[in-house]
Amino acid sequence: MTWTDEELVARSIGGDSDSFNELVLRWERPIYALAYRTIGREEDARDVCQETFLRAFRALPGFRGQAKFSSWLYRIALNLCRDWVRRERRAPVVQPPENVDLLDLAAAAEPSESIEALVARRDLARAVERAMAVLPEEQRTAIILKEYHGLTFQEIAELVGCPLSTVKTRLYQGLTVLRRELAKNNRTTV
Amino acid sequence: MSDTICSYPGDRDEALVTYLYDGESDAASRALFEAHLAICIRCAEDLEAIRGVRTELARWSPPEPRFAVLDPRSNPQSNPYSDLQSNPQSAIRNPQWWRAIPAWAQVAAALVFLGVAAGLANLDVRYDSNGLSVRTGWLPPRDARVGDVRIAPPTTTAGTASQINAVPPWRDELAALERRLKTEFHGAQVGPMTASAGLPPRVASDAEMVRRVRTLIDESEKRQQSELALRLAEALRDVNAQRQADLVRVDRALGTVENKLGVQVLRNQQQMNYYIRTSQRQ
Repeated sequence: MTWTDEELVARSIGGDSDSFNELVLRWERPIYALAYRTIGREEDARDVCQETFLRAFRALPGFRGQAKFSSWLYRIALNLCRDWVRRERRAPVVQPPENVDLLDLAAAAEPSESIEALVARRDLARAVERAMAVLPEEQRTAIILKEYHGLTFQEIAELVGCPLSTVKTRLYQGLTVLRRELAKNNRTTV
Repeated sequence: MSDTICSYPGDRDEALVTYLYDGESDAASRALFEAHLAICIRCAEDLEAIRGVRTELARWSPPEPRFAVLDPRSNPQSNPYSDLQSNPQSAIRNPQWWRAIPAWAQVAAALVFLGVAAGLANLDVRYDSNGLSVRTGWLPPRDARVGDVRIAPPTTTAGTASQINAVPPWRDELAALERRLKTEFHGAQVGPMTASAGLPPRVASDAEMVRRVRTLIDESEKRQQSELALRLAEALRDVNAQRQADLVRVDRALGTVENKLGVQVLRNQQQMNYYIRTSQRQ
């Protein structure tokens, strides 16, 4: 039987640690991906991911289900990412992490992919990372939540605490900047 | 598509973004924007370009995290959330690091701690003709000071009944405390030795460690090989790109030379024709 997030939360509050483990299993990849795309460093993204679940666990008794569990979790993760960026006082995702091994990742996903295709994929990923680094934090967050996590405009607005129209404007502006940056990169590559 | 100036009634950027993500706009707004797209070349181009950006964004994946947190069930030992209930702080930050320390080291650390604590407390234990004496603190000893307790040795207690009655009432308690301390010290020193005599767990742990190290080495070698292949491919690609660029340059240079040569030949031919014509006239 598959429990919903809210049911697992209720069971966790009741003392069932397996239920919380189930929630971790269910959400750690999205949270890690969110943290990685926001701050751009694997190690720090891992720390943020762990800290997110730690805080969620501590605050679990206070979770009353006003929002979806995932939105609540995203909010914790985003706050931690924001703290990280401010604390470190450095622009996120400026440099692609050295230990990013897209080769392993791509090979695991598509074992038959040629090495040339892997190189091209890696180049493209770097180009996207560089372009994302140019974006202001608000636009980057909006794009990440929309593109990679499939949140609705309304959910993003609630999560980041701004009007719906602002979310749309940030998305449009961010995508426009990305378009320009990626085109610039393509010209450089060609 | 007749004009490059957008005349959409309303916030065009918002409408475009809403249209871009299917399923978030109502049918009427969607139809309105589609009708606009049919006549606005600028919006149509923008939409197409942003769709292209989305396609490129979709290819950006984060690296696979190399820690066991992703699958706690497969490796419960390394699951940092497994003991959240009992100790939330250490569970995440430092999952049971102390379990990795051998028992003998833990006992040694405990003894060192006790030694240091005794030193700081200036613990003075004496057993002389006056009996067992336990004293703490930094003040010089006095005969009847608080915190200074004495127990007469057994030989001195073999006296008269009056001497026995003169023994303070806390003496038995102190003797019991002494016995307990001795037992604990003895247990702490002997315990780990006897525990380490049971070899199978240690052997099993060593074997497990060797297996893990081998696995790590294998994974590292695989990664290095993959990285090497990737670097080679990148180098090969760079060489090819450079070769192509060189070929193009050589080709252009040849073309230039050919052009110059052709021009020169043409001039020579014209000059020759001139000479011929001149000579024929003469």
